[in-house]
Amino acid sequence: MYDLLEMRNIHKVYPNGTKANKGVSFSVRKGEIHALVGENGAGKSTLMKILFGLEAPTEGDIYYNGEKIVLKSPKDAIKYEIGMVHQHFMLVPSFTVAQNIVLGSEPRKGALSSLADHKRAIAETDKLIQEFGLQVDPQAKVEHISVGLKQRVEILKVLYRGARLIILDEPTAVLTPQETVELFQSLRKLVNQGYTIIFITHKLNEVMEISDRITVLRAGKTISTLDTAATSKEEISRLMVGRDVLLRVEKGPAKPKETVLSVRKLSDFTETGKAILKDVSFELRAGEILGIAGVEGNGQTELINAITGFSKTYEGSVHFLNEALSGKTIKEIRDIGIGHIPEDRQTKGACLTSSVKENLILDLYQDKQFRRGPFLNQRKIRTHAKRLIEQFDIRTTSEDTLAGSLSGGNIQKIVVAREVSKSPKLLIAAQPTRGVDIGSIEFIHKEIVKKRDEGTAVLLVSAELTEVMSLSDRIGVLYNGELVAVLENSEDLTEEEIGFYMLGVKKGEKKAVTS
Amino acid sequence: MKNRSAIYLDVIGIIGAVLAALVIGIIIIFCVSNEPISAIHAFLVEPLTNAFTLGSVLNRMVPLVFTGLAIVVVFQSGVFSMGAEGQLYIGALTGALAAVYIPGLSPWLHIPLVILCSIVGGGLFGMLPGLLKAYFKADEIVSTLMFNFIAVLFVSYLLNNVFKDASSGGFARTPYIQDSAKLFQIIPGFPTHYGFIIALLAVAVVYLLLYKTRTGYELRLVGKNPLFAQYGGIKTKKVIVLSITISGALAGLGGAVEVMGVHGALKDNFSAGLGFDGIIVSLLARNHPVAVIITAFFYAYLQIGGQTMQANSDVPRDLAIIIQAILVVFVSSQAIFNYLKQRKASRTGGASIAK
Repeated sequence: MYDLLEMRNIHKVYPNGTKANKGVSFSVRKGEIHALVGENGAGKSTLMKILFGLEAPTEGDIYYNGEKIVLKSPKDAIKYEIGMVHQHFMLVPSFTVAQNIVLGSEPRKGALSSLADHKRAIAETDKLIQEFGLQVDPQAKVEHISVGLKQRVEILKVLYRGARLIILDEPTAVLTPQETVELFQSLRKLVNQGYTIIFITHKLNEVMEISDRITVLRAGKTISTLDTAATSKEEISRLMVGRDVLLRVEKGPAKPKETVLSVRKLSDFTETGKAILKDVSFELRAGEILGIAGVEGNGQTELINAITGFSKTYEGSVHFLNEALSGKTIKEIRDIGIGHIPEDRQTKGACLTSSVKENLILDLYQDKQFRRGPFLNQRKIRTHAKRLIEQFDIRTTSEDTLAGSLSGGNIQKIVVAREVSKSPKLLIAAQPTRGVDIGSIEFIHKEIVKKRDEGTAVLLVSAELTEVMSLSDRIGVLYNGELVAVLENSEDLTEEEIGFYMLGVKKGEKKAVTS
Repeated sequence: MKNRSAIYLDVIGIIGAVLAALVIGIIIIFCVSNEPISAIHAFLVEPLTNAFTLGSVLNRMVPLVFTGLAIVVVFQSGVFSMGAEGQLYIGALTGALAAVYIPGLSPWLHIPLVILCSIVGGGLFGMLPGLLKAYFKADEIVSTLMFNFIAVLFVSYLLNNVFKDASSGGFARTPYIQDSAKLFQIIPGFPTHYGFIIALLAVAVVYLLLYKTRTGYELRLVGKNPLFAQYGGIKTKKVIVLSITISGALAGLGGAVEVMGVHGALKDNFSAGLGFDGIIVSLLARNHPVAVIITAFFYAYLQIGGQTMQANSDVPRDLAIIIQAILVVFVSSQAIFNYLKQRKASRTGGASIAK
């Protein structure tokens, strides 16, 4: 094996002044699976964007097969047989699988014709599918196929364009454990056929399982490149964060008290009348964490919307400390002691174009203590923000910095700080650590457990199974709008078992609705 | 950290756009004029050299400050109202009625009353498209543009048929306003009237409102991220209605100040696009209320300069309009600013990473 690709001393400075890469060197051998790991903000995505021609490096060179190349656009990258599967799928939902795969380089009916040849598109897609064993129906519409299959389509799309070096950006983020296993099998097959894969992730289990070598980035610099066989999860995580981190969350047994949240026969429907929540019932008590596992899009969002007052169309009832929530506004629900870390911090949880300070007072700007006559008491708001910034270790230059210029993990800490600091009786945490670096994950997990120990009832909704398993006292699984299981979280409970519920293979056993 | 240098770049970008537009204007003058130097002198220098023209510039600036502020408020709350023109007319109407038909008050009572009437008139009229947007999802750009026709033509109808001054000699206007409602010159002999002070006060009020009060926090948050505002329990529909109502009040006040300070009566078609000029003034000011003072001044300076040029040389005042149009193109092309930011970042190596 020789170095297929080498990136030497790459620097990238973004227009807003962020230095995303500060001298990264990175090389990939032909025929290997090379994991690129690092916390959020470490510079992984930027490096790959440079490699795929989406960003130009401020400094540094790229060598491909020993020859210096300049990538001005993805077109150039494709010319050098480099392909990229993005974290967010870039598919046309109303097109078929085959149409998506050939999109932009469709086979034509004859050399001079401008008409796309659908039959040939399907035939060529079929050929690819057979060649690589990536089973998917070429004539199915993309909007009707599962997330795992969509990803296959993305990979096929890249292969169709002739890529020999494939970049996968956090490919497992949206997959179930079973789908992940299948993806890994496909990747192995590709490598055996001489393809080279760069695999971006921050899930260390997967790194150990799939990769041949690992490059660790931290704060825009290459820390180390290691042979997977000669290292350990602990070593990698140390390299990633520069210190030892707890991979398991330390927590004592829960001491549940009175029922805080009681959901009874909750159903909700889409505008077209399709049920998205079906008769969901559960109770949540003070001092416990109920984790809701499930593949995204199985009713989690609707469940949260019903509790937080975003949706008013549901049937059934939601009671908070024996008070029905159905007639209350979002504001009233927030004010009676419900904190809510929303699943999407970019659009809902934070205002990126506002300052850190303004993000932190979202709940409090009407509070008497922050008033001075008709005006806001700027001094108090500032002190309040400074206190939270320190307490929650939000890495920002000042409280006046725009939230959007912070890293994902720090934006999430703003959200957590705001929601946790109001000492809610019920905390709804939706995807609390999505896209967040390991250091911040650890911090946020500790805060959630701390709140539980102080007697807050926590409803944790996460697509990250390990997160649900390591934090929750009880675990409910949502599948297709139904709460198919509520299980006591014990040593015997395995990821595989929950995976079966998540995929609808197993059902029933609502044995512990009230614990 | 970043905020300050971003503002700095914004300012540089806008000044660059202004200079480029002026240079193009000067080139055009050289192309069309036989006496380019005196034309340029009349256009750019004269407005500032004598007390009369400078006072006129300040007077012309007053309504632009009001309509500029009106646009600032809606744009900052993410409402793209184009309705300042119509609101200005309705505010001028309600203000003028109070100014013409209520006799025998002291100026200390009469002027505030006229102001109040114009604020209420403009505000209520602004509220209508706001309600339509918030509760019926009517696109505010379309509805406010249509409401402009309603307002301008409604006022025109009233002036031609109902309130027309019999002694106006064919002009469609109301009778002259009471002396007690007139805004006189601040310094006798210098043309600028007290409306200028009212305009500056309005700037202060809008600044405090937007940046120092709870309402302002809500307005700006809804403008920046409505979903976040909603999640925080802010009633975004009410905020939208409120923002366009405030905007209407400001534009309406601007209309009444024109009546009280300049025309002395409500005249048909007295505005001729002040409401639309407000959009440009606000865009040039990057939607900041204090910067509106500068941009409104500059805009008025261009207009008065166009007039002096027309009077003193062979170049028509349309040249000023050409420059305004070029400015709009420049200022609205965000790309220029992004380019500048990018260049600065790559040259200085940027600030330290925000991790």
